[in-house]
Amino acid sequence: MTSIPETGTNTPAGFPDEWRYSRDRVLLYVRALDLPPFRGLDLAVESLKAAGPTSASEAMNKLRELLAENGLDRGILDEEGRHISSMPSLNRGVMVAEPLDRLPWKSALGRFLRRWRRNLFGPWETNGHA
Amino acid sequence: MHDAPMPNPSWNRAASWRRVLLITLVLLPTIAAARTMAALLPSRGGTALEFLLVAVFAVLFAWISVGFWTASMGFVLLLFKNNRFSVSRACEGMDMSIPDKSARTAVLIPIYNEDVKRVMAGLRTVYTSIGKTGSSDRFDFFLLSDTTDPDTWVEEEEGWHRFCREENASGRVFYRRRSSNSRRKSGNVADFCRRWGKNYRYMIVFDADSVMAGTTMVRMVQSMEARPDIGILQTPPAGVNRETLIARAQQFANHVYGPMFAAGLHFWQLGDAQYWGHNAIIRTEPFMKHCQVPRLPGKGPLGGDILSHDFVEAALMRRAGYGVWLAYDLGGSWEETPPTLLDELKRDRRWCQGNLQHMRLIFTRGLFPTHRALFLNGILSYGSALLWLAFLLLSSAQAVAEVFFEPVYFSGTKTLFPQWPVWHPHWALTLLGSTAVLLFLPKLFSMILILLKDPSARAFGGRTNLASGILLEVGLSTLLAPVRMIFHSLFVVATLFGKSVGWGTQSRGDRGTSWGEAVSAHWWGTLFGAAWGGLVYLTNPSFFPWISPIVASLLLSAPLSAFTSRSSLGKAFRNAGLLLIPEEVEFPAELADLEDNLLRPEPYTPFPLSRKNGFVRAAVDPLVHSLHTSLLLRYKKKAPARESALEGLVEKALAKGPGSLTQREKMEILKDPRHLAELHRRVWELENRDAAAQWGLVLPAADSGE
Repeated sequence: MTSIPETGTNTPAGFPDEWRYSRDRVLLYVRALDLPPFRGLDLAVESLKAAGPTSASEAMNKLRELLAENGLDRGILDEEGRHISSMPSLNRGVMVAEPLDRLPWKSALGRFLRRWRRNLFGPWETNGHA
Repeated sequence: MHDAPMPNPSWNRAASWRRVLLITLVLLPTIAAARTMAALLPSRGGTALEFLLVAVFAVLFAWISVGFWTASMGFVLLLFKNNRFSVSRACEGMDMSIPDKSARTAVLIPIYNEDVKRVMAGLRTVYTSIGKTGSSDRFDFFLLSDTTDPDTWVEEEEGWHRFCREENASGRVFYRRRSSNSRRKSGNVADFCRRWGKNYRYMIVFDADSVMAGTTMVRMVQSMEARPDIGILQTPPAGVNRETLIARAQQFANHVYGPMFAAGLHFWQLGDAQYWGHNAIIRTEPFMKHCQVPRLPGKGPLGGDILSHDFVEAALMRRAGYGVWLAYDLGGSWEETPPTLLDELKRDRRWCQGNLQHMRLIFTRGLFPTHRALFLNGILSYGSALLWLAFLLLSSAQAVAEVFFEPVYFSGTKTLFPQWPVWHPHWALTLLGSTAVLLFLPKLFSMILILLKDPSARAFGGRTNLASGILLEVGLSTLLAPVRMIFHSLFVVATLFGKSVGWGTQSRGDRGTSWGEAVSAHWWGTLFGAAWGGLVYLTNPSFFPWISPIVASLLLSAPLSAFTSRSSLGKAFRNAGLLLIPEEVEFPAELADLEDNLLRPEPYTPFPLSRKNGFVRAAVDPLVHSLHTSLLLRYKKKAPARESALEGLVEKALAKGPGSLTQREKMEILKDPRHLAELHRRVWELENRDAAAQWGLVLPAADSGE
């Protein structure tokens, strides 16, 4: 049999399960947070006292307020108090595909024709001859 | 294009002469064998059918000749042990230090919906092994995730974070998940290169199941430091850790024949070797500059992303003037083979498409002839199955034609005497014998090498067990060869006719193939074998014995697939001392560590939720939730319609439970920290006990009550 919580009122006789439900909910949350054992229990008891045994949502709201007041709601931080990152700082580089001439005979023909056209019709350098 | 130091001319010249030798050794016997084959036929190759038969036979004979001469040269190389071109000679006598502090190496582990426990165990093993070398400060590790499964995504984050905490590895081990897996694995590695490649002189690419010894990795870096002309250095990974019969046979073959074949490949290729996509070290700068694999134009399986990107990257690296070498004599590199025949065929489907895509690259300007030959080699790895099937079908057609069509005794030219079809059984047997020699003599070479190294063959369970294992492996391969032939032929035809393949996750566990799966996969091959064998038997019973081994194998394909997938059968052989590999006789420290790491207990959690239920854990567990939201890069407020849709998903999840969400919907919520936080808050405020139970918030019975 649990001890009656010090709320100044008796546990409502008609809702013992509701009280247990709220208790289990906040206890589960502080267990999941992996807080130091007594710290977590203290916060759970405080939240249940403040919210009363009526609903789990009220108890959870109260617990979240207490966690925020105690600075225990900031998530996972690194040694310098910043949110952790799984990646190092970027050092951007370029990696693009070089053009691939997959049909070199076509481009070879094209190069040959362009060179021939240049030879036939391109500008000529004067080199002393007429 | 050429920004590397000029390649060592001595290896270039030696390689050229060796390849002339290979071409001679392959061509001359092939011509002789083809002429013999033609002479065996009734019309001596004079009809269209017979000409096709001889042509296909010539290609197949040449194909297996290449394998034979590769094995033979590997045998000679390992026998005389004097190889002036061995890359590992560059770091002979060196200790395990890497003097240059700027020679940093990134170890890349691309993952895609893998078993996270296995991935983390492998990472821990390699990390610890590197630590023992004293050079761990030169290495960083990157888990590069392309995971699309929401549960696995969260599990990966948890695994990474736990690893960093336990091993004090923050700032050394990193985790990155791409939101879009464009260009698959090659795109994954390219993404790393673009973000952090400039920080590292080298990168060692792993597969999800790769394990490498720290000493091997240090030696690879030392080799690259000593040889600035090398762009990629590939190690030959050895298959380990499998228990199914088929995988054990492959592991055994890999250990018995693999070193000889690797040495033979090195003999012909030298600095024009292949890159197999993992267990290799790459020089980052030229890789970034020259080795981005392009997309092929066009749609369908021969266009788009190149699936077998590793061969292309090697060809591009070589085109840029850097060597690609195979460190055939460097051990300490392991991988896990597919556990069942169906998994192997699933992998082959992907590789077949990737290799056939290389048809569009064979004539690319600037590629070295060896890499063009390697593309052709890759194409023939699967194309030869179709050729073999064609040869068998043509032979059967020839046999059936002999029954229905009279021989032509007098050809079109005027002649006094008829041309009698002459049967030369001794020629046929000689040809069969020659083919058998090409296929099976290398196995004898391997056995000789093992016995010369250790006459007791202790690493393989003793001489008798070694010989028995080889016979067993040969028998199993012979039985499975027609099944592989029929599937590979189907893959080639399907690819050429435009049927694509998806990039599925490879199975890495030793699960078996059920009878239902086996029948479902093999029924058509069984039917084909029955029809083929039946037709030949009814029309030309004397020819039937020649194809009976093929037909029998096809008829038994479903039971073969099921039985060879049994790990109980594999373990029975292992207990009998058969198909043993050296790593099972003398357990390397790395593999022992891997086994221990796989058995590490899961950390405590107060929730009755499996680790694999990542989405629910991210919504419920406050620590997992905090970790996941911390790692999301940034939050961008979305369009009102999108915000509204996400709110709808949150309501749906709360009303109907996490099981009501599709994978896509879970992903949407996981990507949005604001709505995930809203879900987290409201889940913990659920009053309805059944609803709370769906999220794991109801404590197990032993913990409730006083």
